[in-house]
Amino acid sequence: MDSQRPRQVAGSTEVRPVVAFQDVSKWYGNVIGINKLTLRIPAGVTGLLGPNGAGKSTLLQLATGQLYPSQGTVEVLGRQVWNNASLNCLIGLCPEQDAFYEWMTGWDFVHTSARLGGLGRTAARQAAGRALEAVGMTKHKGRVVRGYSKGMRQRTKLAQALVHDPQVLFLDEPLTGTDPVARRDLMDIIQRLASEGKSVLVSSHVLHEVQTLTPRIVLLNHGRLVAEGQVREIRDLIDKHPHHIVLICDEYRKLAARLLAWEDVEGVKVMANEKGLMVETRSPDAFYARLPELSLSGATTIKEVYSDDDNLEAVFKYLVNK
Amino acid sequence: MTSVQTLEPLKMDYAPAGHRAPAGSRLRALWALYVLTVRQHLHGKRWMVMAVLFLLPAGLVVLIRSLSSHVPSAAMEFIFAFMFIPQALLPLVALIYGSGIIQDEQEEQTLTYLLIRPISKWGLYTVKLLATLTTTVSLTALFTALTYAAVYYKAETVVKDVPQRCLEAMALHSLAVVAYCCLFGLMSLLTKRTLIVGIIYSAIFEGLLANLPLGIRLVTVIYYTRVIAYRTMPFVEHAPHGTFDLASPVWQMDIQHDPQLLEHPQVGTCVLGLLGASFACAVLAAFMCARREFHVKTPEKN
Repeated sequence: MDSQRPRQVAGSTEVRPVVAFQDVSKWYGNVIGINKLTLRIPAGVTGLLGPNGAGKSTLLQLATGQLYPSQGTVEVLGRQVWNNASLNCLIGLCPEQDAFYEWMTGWDFVHTSARLGGLGRTAARQAAGRALEAVGMTKHKGRVVRGYSKGMRQRTKLAQALVHDPQVLFLDEPLTGTDPVARRDLMDIIQRLASEGKSVLVSSHVLHEVQTLTPRIVLLNHGRLVAEGQVREIRDLIDKHPHHIVLICDEYRKLAARLLAWEDVEGVKVMANEKGLMVETRSPDAFYARLPELSLSGATTIKEVYSDDDNLEAVFKYLVNK
Repeated sequence: MTSVQTLEPLKMDYAPAGHRAPAGSRLRALWALYVLTVRQHLHGKRWMVMAVLFLLPAGLVVLIRSLSSHVPSAAMEFIFAFMFIPQALLPLVALIYGSGIIQDEQEEQTLTYLLIRPISKWGLYTVKLLATLTTTVSLTALFTALTYAAVYYKAETVVKDVPQRCLEAMALHSLAVVAYCCLFGLMSLLTKRTLIVGIIYSAIFEGLLANLPLGIRLVTVIYYTRVIAYRTMPFVEHAPHGTFDLASPVWQMDIQHDPQLLEHPQVGTCVLGLLGASFACAVLAAFMCARREFHVKTPEKN
């Protein structure tokens, strides 16, 4: 299908999209970040999927008005985003970079974000409390951000995105680098936000975490729209390829022995330099589902989980060449 | 592109197309940004480094006093308060703070948190500049006063109206640091190597060319501050063999041929010139900031 053809959305001709890209390209000098992208994202949760360098962050930065499109137009809630500061009252962004005002406490950071969002003193205090409660950080709000774990930092970033009660949320790789428990909690939070009526565009390079959140996905590769629609059909393609999942933990050899007993694990490769394992499986859903339990059982502490890009890249190649 | 069935979208109520954040909300956001920036200045180690640098003149005065009690106070005032501070410290302080107005946030990748707020980019720059001026002017005024205290505390010879001179020096240095901050703030939007360019500018223009009796010194900040100082304060040292002017030979004021300083601008012109140039730099920088997109490094790019 021609990527420049306007999307046909069944039964939705009268509904404006929440995010609309019309023939958008973004170049960084000679490098193309986004290539002639036409996309209409409706309300609800949408997964933005693609390998590293696919253009996901560029797309989100364009959608939040941080970047100016080299060509085409970007609209959010029916309004142009570039140099439209007042639109920022209605949108929230959880950026990919792990950057904070490190000297602040979690509460201070979220409260300052609320104040920067234009809330008054009392309203900001209440909003910060609510946002921290929503992401489960109330207990740790008095600690300095510098001492937070990766999961706590991700939750705090999410809290600053939520604090001014936006209509649309852009979450850039919110689950990256988190442990299985934090990952499950963050997914619960995102699903709860969706159930509260927020529109969420969440980016990831791991299909299996996105599909837990939403059946609606957009696939990008090399700045181009590869596919959009239901996750089921993409999944069928993915499952033809073995899935590689990397687990980082101190006792990786002990963990390898346990994992090899699982029937859906086809192989385990020890990555001694990174103190981790690469697990090969054709049933990633079942594997991911069991990870929090494994982590909580106390048998071993998994510090980080991430999916290797290679097989997703293979699916993209398959889709592009189809 | 692969065609995959698309889901039924949810209905959603949008904000009206003409929606704008209320003025009160925008002002609160700007005030929060001002407070945040001042807090950033206070939390970094930078202000401590600046304080140590600013304590240098007072420390040197105390050292000289401990070695010899016969050094005239007027000479020390001139050397430390009117040579060392404006020529060496003020450009350095302004360069370090002014160059970081946007670049620091960009380097630390926290700029994103400001760009996604209901604050226009020109407002962002302007408020951060104002906060930077607050910090630098406060540091300058405080440590200029401290230098005066060190010079005249228990001094054998005290010139007239020391408090008045101290206040004038504080005001003059504040004016200079405002001009430098606005200049280096603009410079930081023109080049990524602001520190290098700023040091070269300070050394060549403010350090070398401003000390030569050439027209080029008219484009330096320090020239105007010297003219204001010379026109408003006497820099005369009374010695047993007569009185002599400390400033005119060093600042290249040819008072023998031009005793009324007719070749030099008046005080009002100098003040307006510095304020006007500062304002022009600030407006130009805010304009550039409003039109620019800022690339914050993502982990991928790193």
